[in-house]
Amino acid sequence: MNYLPAKDRDMEQKLQDEAKSLLEQERVDYIIGFEPGSLKFTTTPLITKNKDDVDRLVITPFIVNNLSVYLTEVKGRVGIVAKGCDSRSIVSLIQDNKVVRENVVIIGIPCPGLIDLKKVERLVGKDRDELDDITRNGDRVIVTVDGKGREFPIAEVLYDNCLGCEFPTPQEYDVLIGESALLVTDFTASRQKVETLEGMSQQQRWEFWKEEFDRCIRCYACRNVCPACFCQRCFVEESEPQWVLPVPRWQDNLIFQVVRNIHVAGRCTDCGACERSCPMNIPLRNLARKTYDIVGELFHYQAGMDKEASPLLTAYEVEEAEDFFR
Amino acid sequence: MTDNKKISKSDLEGLLNEWSQEFTVFVPSQENEVVKLAKWGGKDTSFLDWYRNATTPAKANFFPPREEMFGFQKDKEGYHLELPPSDEHKQLIFGIRPCDARALAILDMTFKDAYEDPYYLSKRNGAVLIGLGCTNPYDSCFCTSLDISPVESTDVDLMFTDIGDQFLIEAITEAGKELITKASGVEEATEADEAKAKETKEASYNKLVKKIETEDIKEKLLPAFDNQDYWEGVAAKCVSCGICTFLCPTCFCFDISDELVKNQGERFRCWDSCAFPIYTKMPMENPREDKWRRVRQKVYHKYEFYPMNYSVIACTGCGRCIRQCPVNWDITRVLNSLPAKI
Repeated sequence: MNYLPAKDRDMEQKLQDEAKSLLEQERVDYIIGFEPGSLKFTTTPLITKNKDDVDRLVITPFIVNNLSVYLTEVKGRVGIVAKGCDSRSIVSLIQDNKVVRENVVIIGIPCPGLIDLKKVERLVGKDRDELDDITRNGDRVIVTVDGKGREFPIAEVLYDNCLGCEFPTPQEYDVLIGESALLVTDFTASRQKVETLEGMSQQQRWEFWKEEFDRCIRCYACRNVCPACFCQRCFVEESEPQWVLPVPRWQDNLIFQVVRNIHVAGRCTDCGACERSCPMNIPLRNLARKTYDIVGELFHYQAGMDKEASPLLTAYEVEEAEDFFR
Repeated sequence: MTDNKKISKSDLEGLLNEWSQEFTVFVPSQENEVVKLAKWGGKDTSFLDWYRNATTPAKANFFPPREEMFGFQKDKEGYHLELPPSDEHKQLIFGIRPCDARALAILDMTFKDAYEDPYYLSKRNGAVLIGLGCTNPYDSCFCTSLDISPVESTDVDLMFTDIGDQFLIEAITEAGKELITKASGVEEATEADEAKAKETKEASYNKLVKKIETEDIKEKLLPAFDNQDYWEGVAAKCVSCGICTFLCPTCFCFDISDELVKNQGERFRCWDSCAFPIYTKMPMENPREDKWRRVRQKVYHKYEFYPMNYSVIACTGCGRCIRQCPVNWDITRVLNSLPAKI
């Protein structure tokens, strides 16, 4: 399978060379990147000390994980592959003193957007593993099923959050692999689901989320893949007081997610990892994006853009807008 | 004349409705792109067109993600307990895959044989399982490596095999035989039907490409136990979420919680996972605080401890832990790369 045009394969070579030299020169102890996954059109995180492993590093439209989630766990100096949104998560972790800037070598990947396999599946009416190939060619994508290629505009298959991405190219990096990314954006499509929710009455919204959270199984994948969720002990695991029960009832599930969203406000970069990880297809990004937008509107703040800035909710200024706050 | 029966796909609706008189019938059902074995609505058999396997395994029908164990009231005399109402009808699950049916047999070893779990048994005893041969397995499936055929099962009452416009029906148990003898729309299968079924079965079996070597797996795992480097390596990318265990058809760990509001409350149990650090947390210590120990535990419980206790591997190769994993942590890669003794 060739996911990439020749130019991007050069990027992979550059990435592998860079990673190898970082390990050889002992500038880092670990490399964190992506390697081919075990299933079609998947990748999987590669976390290694071994310079022979870095030949497996790939850049594909399926590098879906936000690898910065591992930075609070992997000990030592780390060379990490970061897309635009991931790099902002890293900056946010630096702001929170969770990561020391000097201990990270950010290998920036200008990201042209990730392909949402569920959108592809819906378009062609087949499951991921029944597809022969998915090839991106600029602003088009060719999906091959049963030997026949079907072409779609790339905007139809990119993740909603990618369609609304403002910074596809990392703003903070040590090495940038390739040139700045040209992302096909469609801000309307990106916010469509959020807007539908905004258009609902409070009661309708309540009913909507009640139904969505009724099927949550509390696997905590959304929390565990989220780099902004770095608490040593999550409030849901507290037993004194017990804020919520571990029982997956919609009420407890909803409280968990609402509090999680408030905790990550100003840290969430709308990377979309939470929603992608959900095995029950709960549209979690609606909450994440809405919170992201509120942070922008109220505080004129964007997460992970300035490593010197105080984390949003740890600082306030007397001039801040809300009267109740003075 | 053969021993087997057949039914036209267009008669399935009638058959399921007939069974609904006696049982609560469950069929594959899709909502929000999540597939569950849900209560039959009385009409829709369109699942025959799209169903591959359920997102949530059939274990959820007998061991649900949340379950009320009892309600309680507190007054001057003390606590008064009240058991939740039990289901009026037994379950009849149509469309269970052989991997998930085997998983129930494996769960029985814990919830029925080693220990009698009344909540599980109240649903499981008398339940009817109707298997549907898996003709389009996922690329993450590896049931054949666990001696499970995607199209045959001894763990169901009846086994259905797709032979075009009809299903071939094999009666596996006496209960199954009885169920099908009196069913309407059911005809005798011909030798040609059986030949067609055999062809379908062979083709389906050969679609399983993912493999693991399970011979002597217990012996191979044992020397790897203390190899911390190995387990740290394979555990590195795991994010310690509960997906692989919650959606695993054989994982059965649960947690119990009480909720008391004013003077009344309920006791619940819900799925728990050895992937969570808090799972083994005790006042003095946590023996599996390190992630690699938890990942190792999951592998050993299925492939070492269960074989030791019950002479069976507690994995059916359903592949959910692979295809649902947010980081593509693949147990087959781990089992195929076990280190030799250090």
